[in-house]
Formats: sequence, C-alpha cells, structure tokens
Amino acid sequence: MEPTASRRRAGAAVTRRVRLLRPVAALAFAALAIAPQAFAEDASAWLARTAAAARDLNYVGTIVYQHGAQVETSRLVHRNDGGTEMEKLVNLDGPAREVIRTGDEVRCFYPEAKIMRVEPRAFRNAFPSLSATEQKALTDNYDFRKAETGRVAGLDAQAWTFEPKDSFRFGRKFWVDTGTGLLLKARVSNERGEVVEQFSFTDLTIDAKISQQMVRPTWTGTSADWRMLKSPLAYIDRQDTGWVVGRVPPGFSKVIEGYRPLRERRDRVVHLVYSDGLVAVSVFIEQIGPAPRRLLGPSQQGGINVFVRTFEDRIVTVLGEVPGTTVRQMAMSIARR
Amino acid sequence: MGEEISRLMDGEQDDAQADITCARLKDPDGMATWVCYHVIGDAMRGTGELTPGFSRRFAARLAAEPTVLAPRAQPARPLAYAWAAAAGVAAVALVGWVAFGTLQTEPAAMAKAGEAAAIRSPQVAARTIPADYLLAHQEYSPTTPIQGVGPYLRSVAVPAGDARQ
Repeated sequence: MEPTASRRRAGAAVTRRVRLLRPVAALAFAALAIAPQAFAEDASAWLARTAAAARDLNYVGTIVYQHGAQVETSRLVHRNDGGTEMEKLVNLDGPAREVIRTGDEVRCFYPEAKIMRVEPRAFRNAFPSLSATEQKALTDNYDFRKAETGRVAGLDAQAWTFEPKDSFRFGRKFWVDTGTGLLLKARVSNERGEVVEQFSFTDLTIDAKISQQMVRPTWTGTSADWRMLKSPLAYIDRQDTGWVVGRVPPGFSKVIEGYRPLRERRDRVVHLVYSDGLVAVSVFIEQIGPAPRRLLGPSQQGGINVFVRTFEDRIVTVLGEVPGTTVRQMAMSIARR
Repeated sequence: MGEEISRLMDGEQDDAQADITCARLKDPDGMATWVCYHVIGDAMRGTGELTPGFSRRFAARLAAEPTVLAPRAQPARPLAYAWAAAAGVAAVALVGWVAFGTLQTEPAAMAKAGEAAAIRSPQVAARTIPADYLLAHQEYSPTTPIQGVGPYLRSVAVPAGDARQ
C-alpha cells in the first residue's frame, strides 16, 4: 500500500481532527478504571495524533537540540501542501548543513565538502499503525500520564510522560501545543532523572504561510564540483535470517527480520528490529570486510546507544534509543539459531 | 577483568558474580580500572568537574584513612591515568567533529586515534554513529514520526566518515 495515499487522505484538517479527538481521549481516560485496554489505545492514539500534527501542519521555527554537553540550534520549515510534505532543516551554528526531506527522499547538503547525500526514505509511517502487540507493549512497559501544563516557545503546552517500568528503557516527556497537538519539546531522561537528550522549539509559528521557496534547498548539489552519494533503496527483504538475540530485554519483541542493502556494501546486511511500542532497537549483522574499520564496544550519541562487537566472522552492531545496558545485553547474546 | 568491572557498573552481575568482582577491585589494577571507568563516565556525562587540586587532597585524605589493604602508597596514579584516558576520548570526539567540516583529516590518523580510544575507554565513548545505520534504524522507530525532522538532527551531525566513502 502506498503510504503517501493515506497521508493525502489525512489532509490538512488536523486541527479539526484534534478537536474531534479530544472528547474521545477524555472518554478513554474515564474508562481507564474499568478497562485497561482503553489506556493502551489512548497512549497509541496520542502518538498517532502527535504524528499527524507534525505531518499535516505548516510551521516554521527554531529548534534547540541538546545532547550531553552539546547544544545545536537549527531552523526548521515544514510545509504540507494538500498532502505533499516538504521539510527543510538548516543548522545555525558550526559548518553549514542542510536537510531537505520530502515524501520519499532525504537530501543532506554539506556545502563545505561539496557533498550531497541522497537517502531514499522508506518510513513506514507508523501511525496510526501500531500493531496490537506494540500497543500492548506500550502499556506493559510505560506509565503514560498527562502531566502539567506550561509554556514552550511562547505557546501554551500540555506535557505528557512515558515513565518506564524498568531500567531497560529511558523515560520520555513530551510537550505539545494545546491548540494543534504539535510537538514543541521532547525530553529523554535516564533512570537517575538526568536529561540525556532534548529537542525543543524556542520560537515557532504554526499555520504559517510557507511558500515553496522557503523549503527549497539552498544548493542544487548537482554542479560539476559537487559529489553526490546515493544510497540504495532502503527496504528490508523480510525473511528468516537464522540469527537470534538470546536475551531480549523484557518488553521488547521482534517487529521485523530480514536482509537490507546498506550503502557501500556488496552483501546485504542482516537487520532485526525489536520494539517496546515506543522505541526500537536495531541489530545489524554483516561480514567483516576490508571496508571501513569500525570501533568496537559501546558508544553513545545523546539518547542513542550503540554496541559493536565481532561474532565469528561477523560484525554485530546494535543501536537504539535505549540505555547502554539494553544494547549491550542484546549484542552479547547474539547467536545462530 | 575490565569486562567484569564494566558489567558490575552496569548492574548486569548477580550477587555471586558481584562479590567476586568486588574482591578483585582490591587489586590495584582492578581499582585503577574501576576509577578509570567512572571518571570516563563522569566526563562523558559532563558531571565530572573536579576543583583544582582534587587529586592531591583526595590522595592526602586517602593516605590518612586507616587502610588495611594498602601495601604501597600510590598517590593519585589511578586518577592521572583516568584523566589521560578521558582526554584521549575527548580528542577523538573532537577529531570526529572537525573532520566533518574539512574531510581532509588523514583517515589513518583517525583510525589510530580511534584505536587508542577503544582500548582506553571500554565504558562509553561519545562518538558519532554511522549515519546509514542510524537512518536505517529510524525508519522502524515508533517515535520517529512524532518528531518529524527531529531525528535528522542526530544523523546530520554525523556524516564525516560516511561522506568520505
């Protein structure tokens, strides 16, 4: 099924839909005490609404991204013209970088290096399409709660929390615009309550008039002195790979397994994805080759943890928006079925 | 040994294993590893800011403790080693960052620096993640759609090594 079709159907009338959904959400809350299932649907319904707002609205603003001791500021312009989505992200400090995202492609421009990277995009447009298993995992693994109201980027915001029930996952807090449901701020914190990563708008105009010009790339990237790097079409060819994670952390279950192309590799790479309903962990297994050397062991970038190891003649890379313990346990327990 | 200490710090050992590992921490090398991993962890989280002269004061106070298991005084050596390791990691992170802008950095030099970091910091290295793995992963993460372009903030910060290929 063509994903853009459903997006087009979703159309631009998100505000109206959010308003219609509000009583539904209220009802779901009321039903909580008697029907736990309503709770599950509410968490996933919330995710679906928030995803729809990010996709359907027109907005322009400044995003601050904090991870560890680093702070990066970017300008974001998002346009949805009758179902056709286009987005432009430009960093405001450091060497210039630009990301242009359209329905089926992501282009990254690195003007100093004169490189344009083209990544075909195969987002499954996950919402509203969490499977029943994922919906159940969501309630089994997190306490989803409505938190305080406040202001973010000068807008009235409602906070929501996903409190993890164990230390295999991070806690998450989201602030959304009370009028439109658009995500204004997202925070990831560890079990000690320390902030691991945070995205936040510092100024934002929703329902802005966004012209085609505003989302156009600054560079064409096709002139003779630029290099274009294009990734193969990204999809997972679903099949049994014979690989298994021996000790899957509680609450995670496998959502997809198969082979995929990964840039610059001749052989296809094994890709397994495990999800707890809110976040995912990917396991990549590939033949050790002459091509770029990889650092072994744990590493981290903001809310993403990675663990790389060798197993027989393979390199195993496990990464996800989870604590280091989770990726480590999965990497260390990899086995052939 | 390093692996066991690391697992202990991650809370992955059961009580029996933890007892064995703790016993090994009494060995100076074990203790040096333990301190090293913690200092690196602190440095990575940005929570390890020590006041000037900390090592000296710490060593003095430690020496003043009625320690039974101290065959030989080793003032501040573990910490000195740990800081050297942390500095090595920071240097690699910096190389990664700078390399993005210029793409001129000698790959061999980077690989060498990386090797050093891998040896010295088995705990956690703050380094960038290959963008293609990250992008491939993000397609399947349930949180990606609600953040819109947000996740690309992560991957766009990365491409140094990838762009060179």
